[in-house]
Amino acid sequence: MAKPQTQEPTREYSTISREEILARLQDRALAIVNVMPPDSFKAGHIPGSINLPLAHIETRARQLLSNLEQEIAIYCAGPT
Amino acid sequence: MGYRNLRYYVGGMADWTESGAVIDKSDAPVAPAPVKSSAQLGTSRRLSWLELLANLSLETLVSVWLGMILVFGLIYWLAGIGMGWGLQAGNSAVKPDLDGLWTAIYFSFVTALSIGYGDVIPTGALRIFAIIEGAAGLLIFGCVISKLVSRRQEELTEEIHRTTFEDRLDRVRTNLHLVFSDLGSVQQLQAEQGVLPELVVRRLESTVRVFRGELQTVHDLLYRSQIMPDEETMHSLLANLVICLQGLVEINGALPNGRAPALDAGLRSVSSLANEICGECVPRVYAPELKESMDQIRELARKVA
Repeated sequence: MAKPQTQEPTREYSTISREEILARLQDRALAIVNVMPPDSFKAGHIPGSINLPLAHIETRARQLLSNLEQEIAIYCAGPT
Repeated sequence: MGYRNLRYYVGGMADWTESGAVIDKSDAPVAPAPVKSSAQLGTSRRLSWLELLANLSLETLVSVWLGMILVFGLIYWLAGIGMGWGLQAGNSAVKPDLDGLWTAIYFSFVTALSIGYGDVIPTGALRIFAIIEGAAGLLIFGCVISKLVSRRQEELTEEIHRTTFEDRLDRVRTNLHLVFSDLGSVQQLQAEQGVLPELVVRRLESTVRVFRGELQTVHDLLYRSQIMPDEETMHSLLANLVICLQGLVEINGALPNGRAPALDAGLRSVSSLANEICGECVPRVYAPELKESMDQIRELARKVA
């Protein structure tokens, strides 16, 4: 996607804290998405999260998360 | 991607584990989409029973069809025994004996196939049953026919896919070989003359472009493809990629400063693409030697640009 680069190309998201995720585990309005490979996902993930490996985002994101307005929390292995 | 409400949990799994919170270890590859708009739900529900019918296998459909005919035949027969409004053949009612059972099943077939000879006719409430059976028979029989046709079509499509796929693999192999021999001759020139003439740099540019195209193909194979070549083929492709990348790294190290910007851009693009290939990051699990090759590719990718 050769979009012309704007000043802040990647800052389309805010952050979410652990406490908020913990408090909203049962909240259906918040989709929790794990972007690690399936193996790592299997080894352990936040309960209720969806596995959407980075490699599949382009092809499967729209299918899995069809609502663009949906509140989505994204996480991977950790701050690296 | 267009999502407007993304939030990033910076701590990730490390922070989560550290906090001692619950960790789920179930093996659910991809959970279904959690929220769907109500409009979507409506349409999918409305279609579901018909789709369910169409999704049955050919064998199941045929047995459902036969089963339905037998059940309806029994109904016609039993209606003659119990309620007195049975089938009529000619001007007399069909008797509730074994002969009558055969007649009922015969009538059931004639109705389900919508032949309707008219030698046996339903009376009373049986007419309703006969109409229901006729409609259901048409529907299921239609499904059977469409299954038969589409099965053949699927075979054909698969065949076409396979041939194009093999052609593509052949092309990748040939091109990688060409890239490899090109790189070899460039290296030789480099060894003989030290500095590469302008013309050779141009040629190198186009070689890098071809290489990038094939790298993209292999990358797509690893990430998106529905069909996969067998592991041996994949391994040879990956090994070829490794060799070509090694050649590129060597040439790149010996290039003088102030080289062509187009070559630079090509190499950067190759590097970023190759950087996405490694044993752990591809979606499928491969044999160890394939993983090793992939890791090698990633390692070389960092040296290219």
